[in-house]
Amino acid sequence: MTPRVLLAPVTVTPAKPLTPSHLKGLLWTDVMYRATAAIADVTYRYSPTTYHLTEQTLGFWEFLDRTQGDLPYDALSEEEIGDLYVLFRKDAPAPAGALRPYALEAERNGWVHPASARVLELWTRHYSQLGLHDPGLTTHQPPGLGFEEMVEQLVGLGMGLDHRSGGGPVYLDATRYGLPLRQITTPDGHPNYLACALRELLPLAAEHDEVVLLYDPELAPDYTLLQRVLAELGPRVHRVPVGRVPIDGEIRSARHGGWHDHTAGALLRTLEADPDVRRLGVRLYFVAALGAGQAQSFRADLLRKSLERAVRLLRRADGVRPGVDAVRQELGRHRRDHTHVDPYRLTCSLLARAGRTPDHDLLTTVYL
Amino acid sequence: MTLSPELLLTVATERLRVARPDLADQSVRSAKDSVKDSVKDSLKEEARAEGVAAVAVVRDVRLPSWVRETCAFALSLTPERSDAWRRSLTRTLYLAGRPDNLRERFAFTHVAADGTAAWAGPDPDRTTTGLRRLLRTFRGHRLLTAWHPVTVELPCPQGDMEREPVHRDLYLATAHLTLADALVHLGHLLAESVIDGTLGPGDGLTLRSVPHLTTLATPYAALRVDTDHLRPDRLRAYAALTQET
Repeated sequence: MTPRVLLAPVTVTPAKPLTPSHLKGLLWTDVMYRATAAIADVTYRYSPTTYHLTEQTLGFWEFLDRTQGDLPYDALSEEEIGDLYVLFRKDAPAPAGALRPYALEAERNGWVHPASARVLELWTRHYSQLGLHDPGLTTHQPPGLGFEEMVEQLVGLGMGLDHRSGGGPVYLDATRYGLPLRQITTPDGHPNYLACALRELLPLAAEHDEVVLLYDPELAPDYTLLQRVLAELGPRVHRVPVGRVPIDGEIRSARHGGWHDHTAGALLRTLEADPDVRRLGVRLYFVAALGAGQAQSFRADLLRKSLERAVRLLRRADGVRPGVDAVRQELGRHRRDHTHVDPYRLTCSLLARAGRTPDHDLLTTVYL
Repeated sequence: MTLSPELLLTVATERLRVARPDLADQSVRSAKDSVKDSVKDSLKEEARAEGVAAVAVVRDVRLPSWVRETCAFALSLTPERSDAWRRSLTRTLYLAGRPDNLRERFAFTHVAADGTAAWAGPDPDRTTTGLRRLLRTFRGHRLLTAWHPVTVELPCPQGDMEREPVHRDLYLATAHLTLADALVHLGHLLAESVIDGTLGPGDGLTLRSVPHLTTLATPYAALRVDTDHLRPDRLRAYAALTQET
């Protein structure tokens, strides 16, 4: 039976432009998804719907309506919306009651604020240009469990602590594994992103043989907790940290701004190449050249060099079509002790095989 | 009887004198000059520096069960541990946690039969560092409301009874009182009443709510007095244990 693999990367809040750090995470996930899909039954779960209910998204929507009124969001760029997001993060947080109408609309009716709808629409264009599989950016994909069902299941697993009846929060409790208690709601019941992730991943994990969590290393404690909880439901759970991309030696969150020269849109405008060259080139750079760590700052010159390498690789691979079985065999070499394919090992192998002929079928399957 | 400000001050200072006769004389005199809690705080700091604390792990709070198990914990202590704890003003840290997830890693002094709470110590803080790092401070912001009186019976391990069981009323002043604060006040009152023998194995307690404790129909055997958090220049009686009824 074909193994069932769930890929669950951390999602990006649709309130700001994609930065090199985001691009790196998306490209890593895409290479892993397309390579693994050739040899296993893969679910790539990336649902903005699930995370709209976090305070940072709802708070941004409330802030826009309270302070900006009617803006022509359809005509705004993601950078302009990102500038508003930076303003929002500097503002005092709105009371929980002010977010409730937004939470209810999003939860019950799948409503998305036009600012985020616009950002997601712009991202789908970037995805298309970069050859990224679109896992449903603009599709309504509610999580499989309601909030109460999630808490109930967590408590039933022995990993939830619900203090709401006494005016306290809900905790994720993996203390039996020596992991600290983690709050997943505010005392008034507002879920954080971990609560949203659990609503989505608890039901999915039970349906898969292997779960791969791709995440920002700064979230490592939370992802260690998620790994523990999901493993209780049966699957093997792997954590794959994908480091951020520093800009001039500094790792900055997009909420602080300062990304104007390095957004996905700005980068794509500099990459006026053939689509295949662009798609392969960005993967060679963000996956193989940068690696999983976050020691190297973004370098436009190295990105251009990766595009030049992509040109040479594509030229050499032209007409080399060994067929599906050969591709599967090649992909299988980069799995180690798990089902999913390691994007870094696979992509590095393209660069390392200077003396061998690159395989166009493999490039088409995974990279173009 | 009326619980006048003078009476509350006497009860508060007497508690300090009983707990720390070596430190309290000067503090008591100062406390009588000023009700403000700076003196008490300094005494608490001294007690903390050299003292012990219990750690209560709270999974679920139902007050009757909580009262019974708090007493069961205090009753389970050896006289030496009780004395040390009393000298530390029965200091207790309330942490959110599930005892069933912690029992393999930590040795508890007492675990509630229904698993809703567990107590570690009383020990010096360094002994409970691991437990405290793993858990979070218990947060219960819900304000208490009135309930129908309910009677609980304290546990009575065989052969543990030094006197015939008696019955008392336990009043809790619920106005503006959060669940988290209620645990603190009940915890001190019950633990200290067990340690000084006011409460014993097999005793019955009827738990009663009242908005404010200003008068008591039955004279009190023990009072929990602390700074009134709404009016920090005054004291307030938060809980009372009556004489036998």
